[in-house]
Amino acid sequence: MQVSCTQENLSRGLGIVGRAVATRTTLPITNHVLISTDNSRLRLSATNLEIAINCWIGTQVEEEGAIAIPSGLLTDFVNSLPSENIDIKVAPQTQTMEIKCAKSEARISGQKADEFPPIPRIGEGITAKVDPRALRNAISQMVFAAAVDDSRPVLTGGYAQFSGDKLILAAADGFRLAVHNLGLVAPAGEEAGVIIPARSLRELDRLLRDQADPVEITINPQRSQILFRLKDVEIVSQLIQGNFPDYNQLIPQSHTTRAVINVAEFLRAIKSASVFARDGSGILKLMITPGEGIQISARAEEVGDNEGTIDAEIEGQEAKIAFNSKYLMDIFTILEDEKVALEVTTPSSPGVFRPIGDDDWVQVVMPMFVQW
Amino acid sequence: MTRQILHIDLDAFFVSVEQVLNPDLQGKPVVVGGHPDSRGVVTCASYEARKFGLHAGMPIATAHRLCPQAIFIPGSFSIYRDYSAKFMDILAQFSPDLEPGGLDEAFLDLTGFEPLYGPIRETAHRIKSRIREELEITASIGIATCKVVAKVASDFSKPDGLTEVTPGTEKEFLAPLPVKDLPGVGPKMQQALKKIGVSTIGQLADLPVSFVKENFGVFGEVMHRHANGIDNREVKPYGEVKSISRETTLAQDTLDFRMLKATLRYLTEKVGADLRNQGKQAKCVTLKLRYSDFDTITRSQTQKQPTDLDQAIFNVGSELLDKCLSQRRQSVRLIGIGVSNLVGPEKQLDMLDNSSLRLAYLDRAIDQIRKKYGFGAIERGQTLPLRDKYH
Repeated sequence: MQVSCTQENLSRGLGIVGRAVATRTTLPITNHVLISTDNSRLRLSATNLEIAINCWIGTQVEEEGAIAIPSGLLTDFVNSLPSENIDIKVAPQTQTMEIKCAKSEARISGQKADEFPPIPRIGEGITAKVDPRALRNAISQMVFAAAVDDSRPVLTGGYAQFSGDKLILAAADGFRLAVHNLGLVAPAGEEAGVIIPARSLRELDRLLRDQADPVEITINPQRSQILFRLKDVEIVSQLIQGNFPDYNQLIPQSHTTRAVINVAEFLRAIKSASVFARDGSGILKLMITPGEGIQISARAEEVGDNEGTIDAEIEGQEAKIAFNSKYLMDIFTILEDEKVALEVTTPSSPGVFRPIGDDDWVQVVMPMFVQW
Repeated sequence: MTRQILHIDLDAFFVSVEQVLNPDLQGKPVVVGGHPDSRGVVTCASYEARKFGLHAGMPIATAHRLCPQAIFIPGSFSIYRDYSAKFMDILAQFSPDLEPGGLDEAFLDLTGFEPLYGPIRETAHRIKSRIREELEITASIGIATCKVVAKVASDFSKPDGLTEVTPGTEKEFLAPLPVKDLPGVGPKMQQALKKIGVSTIGQLADLPVSFVKENFGVFGEVMHRHANGIDNREVKPYGEVKSISRETTLAQDTLDFRMLKATLRYLTEKVGADLRNQGKQAKCVTLKLRYSDFDTITRSQTQKQPTDLDQAIFNVGSELLDKCLSQRRQSVRLIGIGVSNLVGPEKQLDMLDNSSLRLAYLDRAIDQIRKKYGFGAIERGQTLPLRDKYH
């Protein structure tokens, strides 16, 4: 194998696939990056067996070939080079990669390419297309609600439901539920509901940052893997097998109190209160009084307390409800709406946050049991 | 607002009660704590006996040697408890902020009551005379702006004393007193302080706080603050429970898992009921085992989510028991379970899984049945092996 490319391209490519390189692994080859020529381009691949990322960079190919190189070493070295042309040469007998750039030269021992785990190829299946900005927005509004501990594996992922020209993304960790609806640019050929690991969604979110063209999504016929095809980048993720809870049942259909709140004002109030809640059990108490507003209070045992009131348009009865401050912060730091509605019934039934005027998303948060 | 805190301490309480019940004992050296030839210690000595150097905690044999003419009484604690309840009742009529510290002493926060009761000193006199009239025993009272100074003040002119430390003079009041008068300073600390030339509270107060902290740790810092007459602790009804535990010595040493688990379950239910009664949840569960060779071990596990469920506490205890016995297979003489790292009753409700909520309702229901009909009125199959023992 003999190729040459720019330092910027190689560095950027390694940065992209580096996210899929295994860190703590019992399979040492997975902390390598697979470098192979693909027609007139260079393909970089990495996988931790849950996620695989392929990235293509422009290259001048003199001689075809492939090799697996320790990712950390190669990436750190390439990042240290000046932005000039890099010449890469692999001696097939020794599996050593020789890298030359400006006056710098290095040799790195690699492994045979065929020892690298196969990167899943998804040719056919259920396909759909989605706008990258809409997808990013949706992911950011739901992925935080996925469970961190894996006592219930299905909850560690985001549920993606494809149906016609709609995609619904949902996540729940047992204490809260986040649901986001978005439109598909090209409708899904078939109805499908799959669970994508939250980590994969976060990686996808990162990769979508510089993406302008629609993202192609393909779910394999076995519904065990999902592929997102971006410009010059592909990310394949294993899907979590199991049944996601019927989240529609978890969204209360009625309420006794509805308060329309200003997002920025509410965020400021919960931020102040969270400072005090941090030292306690993270409890924020909300007293919703029609005609007056919402009083938000928190208390840190033996340290102090905080109380703030914000204006709100309140319909219905007086209500009180307590939430974990983290759950409210997670929601309100990502909201782009100017105003949202909070719907509650009793202190022990879920609180619901909804947008005004449409139903693009819904956030359901279980309250905390407290003594009032 | 300047606080007004009273510390009320009954004088030689147990002996005083005995003297009320048996007037012949009045004016004589009396010791409550058992027979002269017993292995016990002095629980309480009359002021007459104290003149001979007798004090609480001294072995009875020593007390008998120092004062052979003393009258030794084993003590009748249920009567003392009745007297104590009456004593607390009197205090509770003055303020709801009452913190009992054992049977014979209590803090009472009277902040803000002056417009209602008149000058604090007069209120203190009224409390003293009500105790004297209704219980026929005397009390000493200390008045100060914080708990530690009030306590030292109540000790200042015992018996039947009344000492008021006016706001701003706390440090001055404490300064000349020996360090041992400061609550929490025991013989060991006294020795340690003596080594660095500190014998009065004033000398302690004047040490740089960094020095005290370095030498005596966090407690040193607290002690230093107290020595300066600074104490922000509130008067809290019934104090703050830090841990709850139960243990029992088995009828015979055993390795019978069914029996051990049954006993553990029984003890857990006792601990759990206490925990719920206090309105607390625990993060840490501790198992205690004493093997047949008297080797005693404790093993703890701390959970992220606090709990007050019998089942959750038992699960942890049971797991620890399995682990201990798999590491060392030896007959068990004593088994105990405790909870600590207590927090409030607040908990995050679950959206998908209401099993813990249902267990909580079950525990509450069982607690109520037991409160009404006794502990044995309802029990789990798991504790059936103990039937003969507990019924």
